[in-house]
Amino acid sequence: MSLTEQVHLATLWFLSARAMAVAGADMPTVQEAATGLYAQAILGFSEEDCRKAKNADHISNKTLIDCLSGVQQLPKEVAEKILTGVMMISYADRKMKPLEVRWASMLASAIDVTPDDFQRCCVNARVIASMLRPHGAPA
Amino acid sequence: MSGKETNFTFLEKYDKRVAALAKQAEEYVHTDPDSCMFKLRLMVETMAKKLTNLQMRGDISQDLGAMLGALERGGVVPRRQADSMHAIRRDGNAAVHGSPTPVPTAMRRLKEAYRISGWFCKMVKRGSKITLHEFQPPIPPVPVSKETADLHGKLDKLEESIEQRRGETRESLLMFGPQENVEDVSRRIIEELVALDNVAAAAGEPTIDADFVALVMAMDLEQIEEDPRHGVDSRQARREAEQQLEGIKQHLAEREKAFLNERTFLLEQRDVT
Repeated sequence: MSLTEQVHLATLWFLSARAMAVAGADMPTVQEAATGLYAQAILGFSEEDCRKAKNADHISNKTLIDCLSGVQQLPKEVAEKILTGVMMISYADRKMKPLEVRWASMLASAIDVTPDDFQRCCVNARVIASMLRPHGAPA
Repeated sequence: MSGKETNFTFLEKYDKRVAALAKQAEEYVHTDPDSCMFKLRLMVETMAKKLTNLQMRGDISQDLGAMLGALERGGVVPRRQADSMHAIRRDGNAAVHGSPTPVPTAMRRLKEAYRISGWFCKMVKRGSKITLHEFQPPIPPVPVSKETADLHGKLDKLEESIEQRRGETRESLLMFGPQENVEDVSRRIIEELVALDNVAAAAGEPTIDADFVALVMAMDLEQIEEDPRHGVDSRQARREAEQQLEGIKQHLAEREKAFLNERTFLLEQRDVT
């Protein structure tokens, strides 16, 4: 995958992730750090990809509709990884808010996952969220 | 700055203990940089304890790393100050465990401690007006040789490159870029999410609807609460998950009702015309 494609993909990830974090109302540091760790460890982006993706040229003119349309065009496997990461962010504070539910539903529908696939992504997200939370850290 | 002068006089009015530690660190920076780091670490620990007592509720671990983490998560310590405090903690720990501290590193941390001190005063006494003058590096008691000065220059450059590398890594991990205004971006996202919520209430999702998502999430949240790390008993975990699910269902029902009311209103308007 070319550098530009990687940065485009990273931009989609950060858009989806921050929409979920913002939907959850408050944004603990653990959620923030988890976003970058997931991007690099699971999605395989380099530090440079992540920095460029958050550059104004790439991200500031994109809306959530652009994001939904972008993930719709991704290969299923990659899109599911993004969905899993987004659910991980949602689970990080052990609370669900109406807009989080709506964003998850929108994203899952755009990716066109089946209910079973969605549940599988959520189970993976739960496991990763449990691993990433520092021991004893408040929700 | 000569031997007896100090950058930290202003601190005395706010916290005598912190001021004393800062001055001691300043005195040691050239002659004993390891001791300078011990003092700076203790200074940061004293600041963190004071801030925790003033601004945090609940049982916070007395470990400095955990305390700083809690203060940062709680929004008491901003990112920039937290970075400096963590850097002092890290280098202080290294000095305690026998890793020698070069003078340029101690000087760099002393300068950071000076910046944090100004912010700290405002935190412990709201409304304080502190004007920090430019930091004056303490002058070495004996002039340093050219070789030492060159070595210090190289060490400082190395330290600078490490800081830059660390900053880049941190920047790559965070959710927002350094040039972004988090509040503005968040507000825009919320507006878009609310608009999408309204559209979805009217049109519905094609495959995975919000009711189903809420149910799956509630089941997962119940399991997360039951995790030994959180230690919530099964019944309470279920109760909490059910409460959250109930809240979401209520929201969805309200959205649906609002949509139906709107549709009825529009139909009535059409009949009138």
